[in-house]
Amino acid sequence: MIPGRLLAVIFMAGLLLAAGMQNRYDATVNYFGDRATFVSLPSGKALKTLSFGYSNLAADLLFIWSIQFYSATYLTNRFDFLERVYDTITDISPQYKEPYIIGSLIMVYEARDIPMALRLLDKGSRHNPDEWFFDQDAGYYCFKFLKDYPKAEFYYQRAAAKPGAPAFVKRWKAHLVYLNDDPGAAYRMWLEIYENAGDAMEKAAAFNHLYQIKSEIDTGLLEEKIARFRENFRRWPSSLVELIKARLVSALPSDFSGNDYIYDPEKGTVTAARIFRWKRR
Amino acid sequence: MKMSMKGIAINTFKESARNKMFYLLVFFGILFALSSKLISFLTLGDAMKVLKDTGLAAVNFFCVLIAIFTGINLVYKEIEKKTIFNILSKPVSRDQFIIGKFLGLALTMLTALAAMAGIFFLFVWMSGGGFDLKIILYFFMLFLELLVIVAISLLFSSFTTPILSFIFTVSLYLIGHIMWTFNEFKTVLRVPFWKHFMQGLYYLLPNLDKFNIKNEVVLNTAFNPWTILFSVLYALAYILALLAVTILIFRRREFQ
Repeated sequence: MIPGRLLAVIFMAGLLLAAGMQNRYDATVNYFGDRATFVSLPSGKALKTLSFGYSNLAADLLFIWSIQFYSATYLTNRFDFLERVYDTITDISPQYKEPYIIGSLIMVYEARDIPMALRLLDKGSRHNPDEWFFDQDAGYYCFKFLKDYPKAEFYYQRAAAKPGAPAFVKRWKAHLVYLNDDPGAAYRMWLEIYENAGDAMEKAAAFNHLYQIKSEIDTGLLEEKIARFRENFRRWPSSLVELIKARLVSALPSDFSGNDYIYDPEKGTVTAARIFRWKRR
Repeated sequence: MKMSMKGIAINTFKESARNKMFYLLVFFGILFALSSKLISFLTLGDAMKVLKDTGLAAVNFFCVLIAIFTGINLVYKEIEKKTIFNILSKPVSRDQFIIGKFLGLALTMLTALAAMAGIFFLFVWMSGGGFDLKIILYFFMLFLELLVIVAISLLFSSFTTPILSFIFTVSLYLIGHIMWTFNEFKTVLRVPFWKHFMQGLYYLLPNLDKFNIKNEVVLNTAFNPWTILFSVLYALAYILALLAVTILIFRRREFQ
């Protein structure tokens, strides 16, 4: 019979040897080195069937796996399956909102594929018609990365029409209408926001936009009349009042604060007292 | 309830409760339900959704295991150990024996479910999920599903061995959760006979997915009260039908 002490020594020695071997093994493997990987995923419908009533859990586990997978930056081809992975998760549980948001974030900021993100967000909006944030995110990506203002305006319009859409969505919508070169419509939208503002911050934001849009419209109009004055009289008007005397305008507009525009008789230009730079494209 | 049936039900419950397997499964059910917190740490966004999903799935899975393992053995064990002769020699009919067994199993399931569900309900509350009353409705629907599973396992246990009972019950459980695919499959069939055959199977086999309201609970979507009512009535009707056929089979059985 083997003595107990010897067995204990064999046990300890075995463990130490196994740990040493593990250590040597690790030295031969570059766990975090660049490498390609292969992902095989059944369709969402197949997974839903195979989950036998545990489809929510299947969607959760796949989503959690996807977060870890797309955080593994050493996998060089991880974006090859991006759309498939998030399509599968959202096929299993179409009302699960996080995968649409996180998936589209990965598509935009990691994979740099905006159309793919828009497809996923469109799917989210289709399956959750009362949620505004899918359209809001899609609108923002169109604005920020595609510079496609009509498309961004379309998404913000859709988001703003949904129940529970916060005030900032309506502000974004109005801003995109403005960026989309329709200052008259944008002015009306901002005026509505200004008149129904819920707090001082919103009112101040609307004020600034109204100021900017109104001065853009007014200075454009005044400069057009000044140019006509110059055509007729071969000189710049000495003041804006001369435009009334020449019957080119019936009254002089003032800025949104109620102050007169500043006229430069040397150059024939009109400016507002405050200048904002909203129109960043 | 007649005293004899009540006695069988209580004995069945005591017998199940004495089984170490019962406690082991309840323990693991609670353990897995509580470990949902760890899984929820791994997600982004709504961690409570993942916590509820995982916890409810754990309670569901272990309750189903208890229902199957206790159900498939009970009648078979009485026959195998010849204790059935003792019971049937007393003023107890075979019908009362089966109904008593079913009620005892139902009580066992209620106890197991109450233990797991109660702890998980408190756990959700302590984790900041509030008193989510929809979870209680979910557990009620799960209890109905368990009763159907118990009735199925009792049926198989009345005429076959535990291994075959296990295979049949698990198969019906799995099929019961993909009954929606039958409706889709029907649409691709061209021969009217097979269409009717699939239609027949659709109504014959248990549709267990109707008791699965996890989606409504975790995503907080609206319930259709009629759907719930029809599910309750479906469970009662299906259990009655299963008990009737079990009694019919058991009446014709000869014991040696």
